[in-house]
Amino acid sequence: MTLLRFDPGLTLPVPTTFTGAPEPEVVLTEEAGVRAPLGQSLRVTPLVAEDDLVAQGAPVACLRDAPEIRFVAPMPGRVARIGLKPGRKLTEIVLFREVGGDVLRHPTDEAGSEPGLRRLMQASGLWPWLRRRPFGGMPNGEERPAAIVVMAADTRPLAPDPRLALAGREAGFARGLDALTLLTDGPVFVVAQSGPPLLEAVASGGRIREVPCGARHPLGLAGLRIHDLCPAGLDVPVWDIHAEDVAALGELLTTGVLPMTRLVSVAGEALREGRLVRTQVGADLRGLTQRVLKPGAHRLLSGSPIDGHAAHWLAPRHRQVSALPRKDAPGKQHWLISALTRSASPKPIIPTAALSQAFGAALPAVAFVRALSAGDDDMAMKLGVLSLLEEDIALADYVLGGEAHLALLLRGMLDRIRKEYAA
Amino acid sequence: MMRGIWDREMVAVMLLVACLPLAGFWLAYGGTEALVRLVLVVLVLVVWHLVFLLARAQPPSLVAGITALAIAMLAPEDLGVFRLTLGISFGAVVGELIFGGWGRNVVNPATVALSFLGFGFPGFGWPEFVAPVAWAAIPAALIGIAAGVMPAGVLLSAVLALAAGFWAGALSVTMVQVAGIVLVLLVADPVTSAATTLGRWLNGPLFAGLVTLFALHWTGAAPVQMAVAAALLTSLTAPLLDEAALSLWLAKRRRRHGRT
Repeated sequence: MTLLRFDPGLTLPVPTTFTGAPEPEVVLTEEAGVRAPLGQSLRVTPLVAEDDLVAQGAPVACLRDAPEIRFVAPMPGRVARIGLKPGRKLTEIVLFREVGGDVLRHPTDEAGSEPGLRRLMQASGLWPWLRRRPFGGMPNGEERPAAIVVMAADTRPLAPDPRLALAGREAGFARGLDALTLLTDGPVFVVAQSGPPLLEAVASGGRIREVPCGARHPLGLAGLRIHDLCPAGLDVPVWDIHAEDVAALGELLTTGVLPMTRLVSVAGEALREGRLVRTQVGADLRGLTQRVLKPGAHRLLSGSPIDGHAAHWLAPRHRQVSALPRKDAPGKQHWLISALTRSASPKPIIPTAALSQAFGAALPAVAFVRALSAGDDDMAMKLGVLSLLEEDIALADYVLGGEAHLALLLRGMLDRIRKEYAA
Repeated sequence: MMRGIWDREMVAVMLLVACLPLAGFWLAYGGTEALVRLVLVVLVLVVWHLVFLLARAQPPSLVAGITALAIAMLAPEDLGVFRLTLGISFGAVVGELIFGGWGRNVVNPATVALSFLGFGFPGFGWPEFVAPVAWAAIPAALIGIAAGVMPAGVLLSAVLALAAGFWAGALSVTMVQVAGIVLVLLVADPVTSAATTLGRWLNGPLFAGLVTLFALHWTGAAPVQMAVAAALLTSLTAPLLDEAALSLWLAKRRRRHGRT
């Protein structure tokens, strides 16, 4: 039967430069940046001043409307710069590393209860690592999700294997999973690719379920798994979290210290060799790549080559750094050709097998893309748009050559739905 | 970020590549007459694409090559330049260009043009094909499926249904051959065929069923005429098939999750 099985999804032709053993080395960059989660513009109150010395895990800012949710220093260091936009919206807080600095330990006595666990996760800086759907971003402090999806699979091109990140941290992972069951009345799904079972050590069976996942992209994306397992709705929030962060939660509960390093793949065509590193949250992308870059112009992306964005610091939930050659901007079109062709954009989308596979056969791809292009919110909601975020349709955007701008259309639609239903 | 290749024109190029075997065999057996006919159709289509480029800033598409091939191969014979030009113009403008070009059209422009010519000038004879030309539809379909630019569900289900019709004695060899050519050139258009999985698997048998129905009950009609009429009706029904498939999909999800 295995021979007859056909996994949906695509295998992308992304050139890899990984060499040697996959054993990750620890690389801590000299600078790091604390950023808001992707897609959110957060009003914050800084808790430190420039030039202050901070311990690892010490709070550097908190939300203005929810001061219990804090952003913490990913390493012991000195505050170099606090970047705020008008309205006290966080852009970045830059830290310089101080070797031998302190590490903040959190009391864990009350973490056995739900309010205590929430307080600990919010005070320790782990809360921004959670992501909610619909609409994305971190959940508010009181939200109770219908389900939590733990992603122990990642099918993005050149992504590090979450099983490798969990190696040796099984006890922490099991304890973290147990803790997550306090935050929801629904199931906790652990999405994992084939391999040894991840749930052997978990005590509370029943609500924690392991869900198999195919090897092709986009089967290992949280949005499509949520769409399949427990679709998010306007009143039905669903959270997702990376398995490595669950292990970090377990270790936080055991030791009182939140581990601030994570497994990150540094890869891309602009590098002489790709590598796996353990580095801090918010690491400096230049620091991670400068010794292995090929000569020539390049772009550094936080995220994978298909859904990453140009950045200076590793984004809060990202586990990939992609270095791509910078191609020259296309030459300017003749004015007559521009005038004759530009008004027809966006160009129509032709249904192909590649487009269907770009959604992993999880939903009627063509109908969904047409609803997105036409701005048909009702149809898109029926088809599951509330479970999806930009990263989930990045593959469709890639397949269509970037001309359809699906990610922008999706964000516009989600913002419109949020505004309409909030009114 | 990296970018893939499947924009509209790449799909059009792959469709052209897929149809090369069919075009090659047809030209080889049709000779100069076929070539002249193809050149005329291409010229008329190019003019209309240029008109819409200048009037509405609508970029032309290479898929006009497939439309041209389909019209040149399947249009009634001995129509003369004027009638043929009229039919092509009607098909290209009303079937495709006024909707915004390929990708936004509802019916295949070649199907519209051929139907117009069939209904408008019923006295002219429809073409017949030698067996090698019909056989060339097979590699065309295979290339289209392998490249992912032709809907595999439509093609496979139609072939199965046509084979069943042939096995049951309802379809002649000629009818099956012509239906195969029309299937590849008109019905398997990725834009105007059904776009859902279930819709595609219904789309093929619907075409084959209509061909069988016409073969059994439409006396005096030529095989190409019957196949083109079946393609037109199938194309008009495709949105209904998609709607039904979507309703079923939504009902299934509602049953499973209590919401969509």
